[in-house]
Amino acid sequence: MKALRQFFGANMRQYALFGFLIVVMAFFAWQTGGRTLHSENLQNIIIGWSYVLVMALGMLFVIVMGQIDLAPGSVAAVVGICLALSIKDWGFPWWAGILFGIAVGTAIGMWQGAWLAYIGVPGFITTLAGQMLFRGLDQHISNGQSVPVPPQIVKIGSGFLPDWGPHTGFNNPTLVLGVIAMLAVIYREIRRRGKIVRGGGVVPPTWVMVARLATVVAALAILTIAFANGRPGTSFPVAGVIIVLLVIFYHFVETRTTIGRGVYAVGGNKAAAALTGINIKKVYFIAMTNMSFLAAVAAIMFVGKSGSTGLSDGNGWELDVIAAVFVGGAAVSGGVGTVVGSVIGGLFMSILSNGMFVLGVGSDWSAMIRGLVLLVAVAFDLYSKAQGRPSITGAIMRGLRSRRKETQGEEQVRPEVAKI
Amino acid sequence: MRKFAISVAALGAVAALALAGCSSNNNTGNTTATTGGSTPAASATTTSGGGASGDTISLPAFPAGSTVGVSLPQKTSENWVLAGQLFTDQLTAAGFKPMVNYANGGVTDQQNQIQAMITAGAKVLVIGAIDGSQLGSQLQAAKDAGISVIAYDRLLTNTPNIDMYMAYDNYKVGQLQGQALLDGLKAKEGASPWNIELIAGSNDDSNSKPFFEGAMSVLQPKIDDGTLKILSGQKTQSQAATQGWQAQNAQTRMDAILAANYTGGTKLNGILSPNDTLARAALTSVKNAGLPNPVITGQDSEVASIPLIADGTQYSTINKDTGKFVTQVVSVLKDISAGKPVTVNDTKSYNNGNKIVPSFLLAPVLVTQANVCTAYDPTTSPSASAAALATDYCKTHK
Repeated sequence: MKALRQFFGANMRQYALFGFLIVVMAFFAWQTGGRTLHSENLQNIIIGWSYVLVMALGMLFVIVMGQIDLAPGSVAAVVGICLALSIKDWGFPWWAGILFGIAVGTAIGMWQGAWLAYIGVPGFITTLAGQMLFRGLDQHISNGQSVPVPPQIVKIGSGFLPDWGPHTGFNNPTLVLGVIAMLAVIYREIRRRGKIVRGGGVVPPTWVMVARLATVVAALAILTIAFANGRPGTSFPVAGVIIVLLVIFYHFVETRTTIGRGVYAVGGNKAAAALTGINIKKVYFIAMTNMSFLAAVAAIMFVGKSGSTGLSDGNGWELDVIAAVFVGGAAVSGGVGTVVGSVIGGLFMSILSNGMFVLGVGSDWSAMIRGLVLLVAVAFDLYSKAQGRPSITGAIMRGLRSRRKETQGEEQVRPEVAKI
Repeated sequence: MRKFAISVAALGAVAALALAGCSSNNNTGNTTATTGGSTPAASATTTSGGGASGDTISLPAFPAGSTVGVSLPQKTSENWVLAGQLFTDQLTAAGFKPMVNYANGGVTDQQNQIQAMITAGAKVLVIGAIDGSQLGSQLQAAKDAGISVIAYDRLLTNTPNIDMYMAYDNYKVGQLQGQALLDGLKAKEGASPWNIELIAGSNDDSNSKPFFEGAMSVLQPKIDDGTLKILSGQKTQSQAATQGWQAQNAQTRMDAILAANYTGGTKLNGILSPNDTLARAALTSVKNAGLPNPVITGQDSEVASIPLIADGTQYSTINKDTGKFVTQVVSVLKDISAGKPVTVNDTKSYNNGNKIVPSFLLAPVLVTQANVCTAYDPTTSPSASAAALATDYCKTHK
């Protein structure tokens, strides 16, 4: 059992959620005769819920710093219609339309960030106002029109990577991406281990590392094959590539940058953060701007997937996203949560919805079940924290812990503030 | 810090410009839409009687007992709830495996549901779209999987991947409304000329256009020869439009028209209304203005309008029997499954922007005081309670 702990390392919480994710996937696969694991369905999950996965990255930082953003759905609607009209009526090329859409989204984010950071209106109020303001603006601009977008944007939302190279029976770009991911994981693990050894730390035995790497690489290989062997012309979706790049970028921001650590500091203890010299206003401003920037990215992917803008674009998105972030382990009080956790939370909710759709469960039941899942996930989190234990898996491992003597060697629990 | 603030201010200014530009664009877009005279959601150029009846199309056959996906909009109106139940029952009875879903969460839910139906192995999709222009990728996926797609009640636009459109003939609905208005005026309002006012549906609903144009195909000649007069001068669809089909919008507009044109004894003889909700709103407005009850049309056979039809306050409504509609769709599915050609009765009218969609249009039924007692089938009318109400009323009053 000690080996098990070493195997998982310190990120128990994320692994726990990830474990539940696997259980849920297995359940749906069993119930649907394996249909949910077909590559088409995996592609659907990524494409269909891309807006949640993208916006969860921004919402995480907003929630971690102790705020909330209720406006991203409305912002996405405005971005969508501005993008579509700039191409249709102004004759912008598609890429200029995308840049324009992102500029509009970022500008709206600055507007909201300025009200929060420099005027001091609480985020809840600023963004509640923003929700109404930008929903109205969307209706005003669109004037009830559904505006189609060009095929290049459709490709971003629901397209696939073009196949090239030898005929392997699989989609080659997907295979290449998969191999890159596996190599990156191996390189990172070895490098990290080397660092710990050089620093004089204690590392788990080599076989643990090998076993862990083997598991991760095997998982990646299965996913790669699953995505690569779909219908000819399909691959890992373009939307998925964008999401992966964003996750890597924001994981870096979260763990390795001043501003990223600043967000945690502000959310954990605002006064202490101010005393350590963190510019709180700047943190607020950037996190809010970033949220709307990501809402713009999500909007582009959504109008692409839909082929056109619509009157109800973005309605209720913010709630899906907030739910994903909380299921992913963020705390309402701020200071706690991770990028990877939020993405897993988003995937969890997506896989749950998708599985229920494939089973033919109606949206009414689906909504009730997702509501309960959110409630239970957060309740369990609170319970675990009150017990002073990491989380769900912490509870499972409770018995093991008492017997455990040595401290965790390989990886320190991340000190949330100290790194700044 | 100051530098940061300055750059923020500069960016803010750029943003404001961008937004202003984006917004001013609205006006041009708006004008084009108006002068172009096409509804944005679907440019269904509807002309009466397009295509000879008896045309057929062939769609790929599929095994009996296959899954049929039925994706309907939000569970918000009685009519959709009834349609869902009828689909489940009739598809099961026909030996299919029904997968009937409501997209309560909006367009994204509907997109994901349709994908899930494809995953679940559906052979045919029947889609009542929330927004017919936003399902392009999903319909492409359906096409790639060899699935036939039937648009139910609302046309799917912005895609070539639609095989058939089935709906009540909305142009015909408009014609019936126009004719009912003329008949009512003749019967109740004495000699012409008559003063009428027009109400149209919401501009963002592609169905508003066939309703209005159908009615105007009957009314326009009478306006041109002076039999009908529109004192407000609001004669086009966009002038008469009711944003979001909302009663209060129709009522405020009617209040303004009445105050401006129908004072000092000028009589309003008739109102063209596209549905029952707006008809009742207009009647309220007329009543508040202290004017006599005009001849007014409607549609949908709403529960609240049945008593008004029965006592003659509202001259007419339209019955679009959901049961007959669903039965027709299921019989088409049986034909497709058996490899038989499918009958369509309109191969010209419904252009979804990518192609002319072969359509099967059902005939709507006009209901007035004269036939209200017999017009409704209590098991399949859009509202069973409307039928019950009509029956009760007829028992007590005849």
